[in-house]
Amino acid sequence: MTTTPAPVREPAWSLSRSAIGLWVTESVISSVILGVLAALVAIFVPSDSPGVLPELRWAAPAAVVLYAVVAIGVRPWFKHRVYRWEITQDAVFTRTGWLSQTWTLVPISRIQTVDVTRGVLQQMFGLSTVAVLTASSQGTVHIWHLESDVAQQVADDLAHRAEQVRDQAT
Amino acid sequence: MDTGRRTSPRIVLVHTATFRQARQFVPAMIPLVAATGLGGGTTTVVALVVGVTLLSLATAALSWWRFTYADGPASVVVTRGLLSRSVRTVPNDRIRGVEVEAGPLHRVFGLVRVRIDAAAGAADKDEELVVDGVSRAEGDRLRASVLTHRSTAPLSEDAEPAPEEPFARFDNRWLLYAPLVGSYLAVPMAAVGALMRLAQELPERFRPDLDGVHVSGVQAVVVVVVVALVVLVAGSIIGAAVVNWGFRLTRRGGSLVAARGLVTRRHTELEIDRIRGWTLSEGLGMRWVRAARVNALVTGLGDATRRGQLLPLGPRDEARSLGVRLVPEPGPLRQHPPAARRRRIVRAVSAGLLVTAAGAALTPLLGWWWVLVLGLVLLALGVPLGLGRYAALGHAAGAGAFAVRSGWLVREQAVLQRRAVVGWQVQQSPFQRRAGLASVTACVGAGRGGYTAVDMAADDVAAFAAAASEAWADELRPVAAPTG
Repeated sequence: MTTTPAPVREPAWSLSRSAIGLWVTESVISSVILGVLAALVAIFVPSDSPGVLPELRWAAPAAVVLYAVVAIGVRPWFKHRVYRWEITQDAVFTRTGWLSQTWTLVPISRIQTVDVTRGVLQQMFGLSTVAVLTASSQGTVHIWHLESDVAQQVADDLAHRAEQVRDQAT
Repeated sequence: MDTGRRTSPRIVLVHTATFRQARQFVPAMIPLVAATGLGGGTTTVVALVVGVTLLSLATAALSWWRFTYADGPASVVVTRGLLSRSVRTVPNDRIRGVEVEAGPLHRVFGLVRVRIDAAAGAADKDEELVVDGVSRAEGDRLRASVLTHRSTAPLSEDAEPAPEEPFARFDNRWLLYAPLVGSYLAVPMAAVGALMRLAQELPERFRPDLDGVHVSGVQAVVVVVVVALVVLVAGSIIGAAVVNWGFRLTRRGGSLVAARGLVTRRHTELEIDRIRGWTLSEGLGMRWVRAARVNALVTGLGDATRRGQLLPLGPRDEARSLGVRLVPEPGPLRQHPPAARRRRIVRAVSAGLLVTAAGAALTPLLGWWWVLVLGLVLLALGVPLGLGRYAALGHAAGAGAFAVRSGWLVREQAVLQRRAVVGWQVQQSPFQRRAGLASVTACVGAGRGGYTAVDMAADDVAAFAAAASEAWADELRPVAAPTG
């Protein structure tokens, strides 16, 4: 996957397999929406219209099919390899992304609030997202798609530890 | 609560004149006016003006009557509201700054407006208490009271007013840099635009008759261009002068007070304890004359780009030495690896490449040769642009602070204390991965919220993060033995 070693280390823990199911479901939904749009294009663009418009009649569905194959068949498994998280002695550490990857590290001493959110789709798979907020608008860590009981436990633990080691400097 | 203080009744006059409260009735009045019709001529207009003024007076008086504020030892309480009363309590330790400003009308009546900034984060913008219309002395008392109550240290109650010492001087001649600064150049352009719109909306008979004037010939064009340039230059200088005239930065006890403005005089107070760093920004034109501006990065400061200004405009050396006195620089910046230069050039050239390719395809098809020319020009410009962007890149980590620099149109160098960092974000795209680069963002609770070292060597990331923040950042270090 990588040709050069990663700039920073890899967080230790991976997500549960249900996250893959969730990502597949999300991709199926967006593919269906795009497919409907492409079908509309194919129906409503007359084949004798000028310019490149007639090409759209087959190009749009083809693009949707390509997207669907990648988004449903490849991306969820790819993401499952990339998404990792870890809570260490004094920091929260995550890796997210797909082709582009983002590592985020936030020390527990600078945590301001910890939120647990559960979207509609997430509920179907019993998953939750933990959002860790700091004083910086860019310094928010999301730990995506943890199993709900784990997420709650993590959030409680982080809030508790942040209370004890809070650094008033910021 | 009877202990609440009131603002000065003179503020009613100010607000009547500016229709401050009555403004919100305007949308409601438009259909009313439309329904009754405006056919009555002069009498209707006079009646309307009188009516609106009376309405404004009444609302201003009511809101003055229902507004009280109290600054206690622990918090500031503001009570207001006509029918639904709102009581807003802000604990003193949440207050991040106090700003005292006096607009032209306020100055006529000897009043000031005090803004108490209690911004918590990006989420709630409206965390500001405004006490509008107290006398200058009361404004100063309020500011001092709010700020001294806040400090947790045992107070020396003797209320010895902390001595003021000048921290930085501003030379009004530096306003001449204004035509080279984008934001000031926008001032005259906006003014001209507004004038044009106004001229279009004037009734026919008031419009000056310009049809007789014919602009032709090279001379006329030259005259027009020269006039436009003069307007642009003069306008930007005037715009900069109105905002920054008599800029003064003084140190009073534990805070820095910036005062400025020609028409509206503004005093902004920044607590030195909360200053985490500074940025030095140089626009393209400013670099040409070695000018720069300095902003303080203060935690929890709302509207930071305006309030944090330490030097709105000035020679770069002055600007830099001012910043260094707050947070010392970590040493010379390290250049980013050659791969970063390649990446900058490729990115800068790619737009040109695209247009050139399109041009190559379109020229034989449609005869649009100019697309090809445009693409080639963009391609040629891309190389110096990429080099310029690369030259701006740099980072350094020192004993107590670190610095990152980037940007071409506006080159910005941020110098931050190590303790300012509340998180690290490392980003790597597939292209960066191949080139062995990564972008590292230091998340801070001040300024923009994050400052990025673009395209540094991937191998340096962990060491830089560890050197530029506290021990917790060691977590990022790759494990010695590479894992599959």
